[in-house]
Amino acid sequence: MENSRRNFLIGTGIVAASASIVGYKDTLGAVALLKDKGERAKDSIYFNASAAEFSVKNNTFSPNEHYTMANSTCNGCTTHCGVRVKIEKESGKVVRVFGNPFHPLSSDPWLPYATSIEQSFTFLTQTQHEPNAYRSSMCARGNVAFDKLNDAFRVLKPLKRVGKRGENKWVEIDIEQLLDEVVKGGNLFGEGDVEGLAATRDLETLINPDEPSFGSRANGLCIIGTADEGRQNFIVPRFVQSYGTVNFMGHTSICGLSMRAGEAAYLGDFKKSPHLKPDFEHCEYLLSIGTAPGQAGNPFKRQGKLLSEARTNGRLKYATVLPMQSNADTIAMGDKSSWIPVLPGGDLAFVMGLLQIIIEKDMYNLSYLSIPSEKAKITLKEASWTNATHLVIQDEEGFGTILKEGEMILVLDSADNQLKNADDVTQGVLEYSGEVILKGKIYTVKTAFTLLRESANDYTLDMYAKESGVSVAKMQEVAHEFCSHGRKVAIDCHGGTMHTTGFYTTYAIMMLGAMVGNLNYKGGMSAGGGKFKDFAGKQYNLLAYKGKPQVKGARIDKARMPYEKTNEFKAKKEAGINPYPAKDAWYPLAAALESDVISNSAHQYPYALKTLISWNANFIYGQSGSEHIKALLQDPKKAIPLFIAIDPFINETSKYADYIVPDSVLFETWGALGVWAGCQTKVSTIRFPIIKPAQATFKNGEPICMDSFLIELGKKLGLPGFGKGAIKGENGENFAFDRPHDFYIRAFENIAMDGTPVPDCSDEEIELSGISAFKPLLQEICKDNWKKTAYVMARGGRYEDKTKSYNGEWLSHPYKGNIHIYNEELGTKKNALNGKRYSGVPKYYMQRTAMGQDFASLYPKAKFPLSAFSYKSNVLSQAMASSSLLKEIHYTTYVDVNPKTAQDFGLKHGDLVKVSSANGEVSGYLRLRNGLYPSTIGIEHGAGREGEGAVDVEINGKVLKGLAMRRSGVNINKLGLLDHSRAATISDFVVGSNARQAIPVAISKIG
Amino acid sequence: MSEKNSRRSFLRQGFGIAALSGLAATSASALSLQNPGRDAGEMRYVGDKNKHLVMVMDLRKCIGCQACTAACKVENKVPTSQYRTFVLETEIGEFPDVRKGFLPQLCNHCDNPSCVSVCPTGATFKRKDGVVVVDNTICWGCGYCLSACPYDKRYFNTKTKTADKCNFCVQRVDQGLLPACVETCVGGARVFGDMNDKTSEVYHLLHTFSTTVLKPEQGNKPQVFYIGLDNKINELLNSTQSLDDMVKKHDGIHAEWSKTLIKEM
Repeated sequence: MENSRRNFLIGTGIVAASASIVGYKDTLGAVALLKDKGERAKDSIYFNASAAEFSVKNNTFSPNEHYTMANSTCNGCTTHCGVRVKIEKESGKVVRVFGNPFHPLSSDPWLPYATSIEQSFTFLTQTQHEPNAYRSSMCARGNVAFDKLNDAFRVLKPLKRVGKRGENKWVEIDIEQLLDEVVKGGNLFGEGDVEGLAATRDLETLINPDEPSFGSRANGLCIIGTADEGRQNFIVPRFVQSYGTVNFMGHTSICGLSMRAGEAAYLGDFKKSPHLKPDFEHCEYLLSIGTAPGQAGNPFKRQGKLLSEARTNGRLKYATVLPMQSNADTIAMGDKSSWIPVLPGGDLAFVMGLLQIIIEKDMYNLSYLSIPSEKAKITLKEASWTNATHLVIQDEEGFGTILKEGEMILVLDSADNQLKNADDVTQGVLEYSGEVILKGKIYTVKTAFTLLRESANDYTLDMYAKESGVSVAKMQEVAHEFCSHGRKVAIDCHGGTMHTTGFYTTYAIMMLGAMVGNLNYKGGMSAGGGKFKDFAGKQYNLLAYKGKPQVKGARIDKARMPYEKTNEFKAKKEAGINPYPAKDAWYPLAAALESDVISNSAHQYPYALKTLISWNANFIYGQSGSEHIKALLQDPKKAIPLFIAIDPFINETSKYADYIVPDSVLFETWGALGVWAGCQTKVSTIRFPIIKPAQATFKNGEPICMDSFLIELGKKLGLPGFGKGAIKGENGENFAFDRPHDFYIRAFENIAMDGTPVPDCSDEEIELSGISAFKPLLQEICKDNWKKTAYVMARGGRYEDKTKSYNGEWLSHPYKGNIHIYNEELGTKKNALNGKRYSGVPKYYMQRTAMGQDFASLYPKAKFPLSAFSYKSNVLSQAMASSSLLKEIHYTTYVDVNPKTAQDFGLKHGDLVKVSSANGEVSGYLRLRNGLYPSTIGIEHGAGREGEGAVDVEINGKVLKGLAMRRSGVNINKLGLLDHSRAATISDFVVGSNARQAIPVAISKIG
Repeated sequence: MSEKNSRRSFLRQGFGIAALSGLAATSASALSLQNPGRDAGEMRYVGDKNKHLVMVMDLRKCIGCQACTAACKVENKVPTSQYRTFVLETEIGEFPDVRKGFLPQLCNHCDNPSCVSVCPTGATFKRKDGVVVVDNTICWGCGYCLSACPYDKRYFNTKTKTADKCNFCVQRVDQGLLPACVETCVGGARVFGDMNDKTSEVYHLLHTFSTTVLKPEQGNKPQVFYIGLDNKINELLNSTQSLDDMVKKHDGIHAEWSKTLIKEM
């Protein structure tokens, strides 16, 4: 006992997670008395397992007629893997979930698309010599996610609140009543008149009379969704845009916007926000920063699978840069894997240090970086190129713009130092700072690379080491390793960069790749293979329809628009006053910021919203600092007069809604989507209801879900694009849009017909893949093509074969744009609060507010000695609160600290502690982990819930008691900071992504 | 740390029973006991006599994701708070030299299973293909086998009130399929197959890499083999502690489990 405790405290090893790993002998006390009879198991040897879904004996395949095996998509997290579901025919219940062996996110290699359905089963059996080759897996979440379907807290009928907002008291109402009330408005809750959706849809009147460019009153509707799980192409073009509002948000600003925006800067496309992923399979050195393959990140399973394979049978060596040791590591790999502990938020300093070393020691790929144009790239047979040689104007006039003559980019030719059209130069001058003369005019310029070098040299290596917590020697070692594998080197980053300097962190991380020229190379970085044409395709353009209004104006989140375009700015300028600061921050480079919607509406800047529709959104749980938003939601007069939630569960956010519209769950839903960039080939995943949705229906028999609700709502509002003739066939014929299948099945047909159409599906395959019930619908909608659409449905989507991944040493699907060593869009924008220009190249900043005050002065170490960070769970996810089975796999979350830190504060393993920041606090049990940077606090995300069955809910006067197991655990977002420079939750100072990392905190023991 | 105390004393008690059961087994001479199903040669009782089924855990590929734990729970409808398999997750060493260690565990399907020899009824036995199974119609729940297993991989099924454990998913294996944990293993660490088949992946792995088994000194001859098992993980087997039980007790959720988990999936 004594011995083991001492061992424990100095840390011979700690169980850092997982299923309650108790000695089973604990149950020995419960062994049966002879007279005790338990429940008889179904089978003497097989116990209660269900029968196998098929058998293969003597090479004969026999499906089990009691089960259907049908394809769908998992929604247990935002990876969205293709799955195969075992459904008991008699009960219609899901029995188990497997990976879909055709799907690259579940299998690697995945089956060639032409494989028969029968073979897709037999491939997975013992009779194959290598049954493991095509094994199709599910993660812990995916294995159990289906128990959400039957959760007692699921909303099956439309609800209207009774009592105050947030009291969680509801009555069930008819869907027709709900539609009527939200359309017409009125005194709906005895709290005064509420404007209905019909009145808000006013495309003529300005929403803010002082700012005509902000658009019409229709922008008073905002819809907040979630990650695109396959239905975003329905909700945005068919409803949001039809209504005429600019306001749709996903979940990115509370998820990984710093990553997306930083990569967009690197790739020079803030509109589409492409992202890059390592080609794990052929990579020789991988640096993961703020993410860890195998621990989390997207696509979770595929990354884990490829990592395992590459480190075992490939040549991969890898380092993970995190404040916490992660599941990317295993002692079984010896020195092929390493952990580089970094302080929360210190990753930017670490990477700027690496860049400084690589640049100062001339370790970069000079000839690659000297390529000035697409033309030169082709001449030199390169797979990608950068704008490193482009000349950035440093004069006040035109500051930050790239030197051009018309559209022609000019660079200095390294052959003769003359200014020339970049297209005519194969190798430009990489470093230059001085003057050039163009058409008689003198310009002061610097090359993009010179700007990067200067920025990397802003601070000393010692300073970068101090701020990152990584030694100079370690940085030198990593820089050297990084530059020693040619193009077969990759970097990755994700949620760890969600701090106030996360945007530049990601930009800097990606920049490492430019130093070696790894984009579009096998073993390097990939933008992914893309997807087949789905919603706008060969057969139909489902995104377009007659009368679709042009949506315009300022977004409620002030994203995608610079402050300088507002009348506020112009008026101040005209009046001769300094236009800075603006009333609040603007985020011209961000795509969407759901984390600012509520506070912006409350401050009526840029304007006030009338209605919020949330769709499976949960910013109250997911947003750092959301505690401070609750009060704004609670009072309908403060920010959101009408709040409709479309949600199969009452979560922390929909709890504040006025109405809840049920939605289908998992395998009951429709959808079509692509995959994360972790895959080198084209992938389209589709899903359709393979089990009967459990919720109430409309009069026409259609289950009430997001899609059907918005169709009915659109019709009631008289919006364009619904009903007769609303779907555009490419052959000129139009079709009715009355039900979700009118839309989705046509998207499936587009996928089937894209490029070379897929083969026809046989009757046997239709039967074997469980899609027989769709036959009449397919015949009616797809006519001659119905068997082709069935072929796609039978395989859960369409997938390019793995053999198409590469073209020699290049990726088959390259990113077509160039890398932006300097991003002009960024370098010409100013911070609306302090008027300072953003750096157009990666640059080091300390953690700071939007205005630029640094954390060190705001949150002194004496008061907040520790730095808290959140990490993504390998088992839990935001979407999984309502799975009770998952709690058996991973029960709760803790306040994790290093034993050294615990000792400093006199704390022990298992102590109940309070963690507090300047703006919030949480309590939880302390768990000691050696794999944590001392002086930090790590909190795993996914537990500590206050919705989806965690708290009491009253429906029709009956109380459903909340479950302690769902409340259990710690939610780091309650520690979230407020940015007092702008009266909102703290966020990245350039793109506004919600900052949940590197929060200064204090810790104390409770009791 | 009272939890720990109680666990400790309980373990001591457990070993006491084990010693006792050793005696019981000798006198009961379990192997000679009759089992109607086995005697009749039914597939579920005997398996395929030409096969020797084993599992190889390639720890280089394990990412500790617990997919196996989850798939097993669902496939076998393992009762609440009980597990046929799981992955122990540890951190080894002190900051900054800390490594992750994962140890997937399940019944070792020993060639010399101490659970079989102590069974007084013949309910637990080894099939001809090597899979150690429990016949729940014959087991009377005495618990001897639970104590006898040096790996602590048996549990008392709270529903059937019989001994229970991993049976390599014989309900699938007998139909030509793979165990649930193997199919779902994300990293591909779990490999299952027939050692008698020289073309099998398990045969290849066992003849290419050096492998170890857990607690070889027990002499049970486990048929679950590990590639890349670090001694430091093996040493941790009896000294780790999870806080989950303490929190569950504090949360008072035991009544909730039975109510909220789906009874018949």
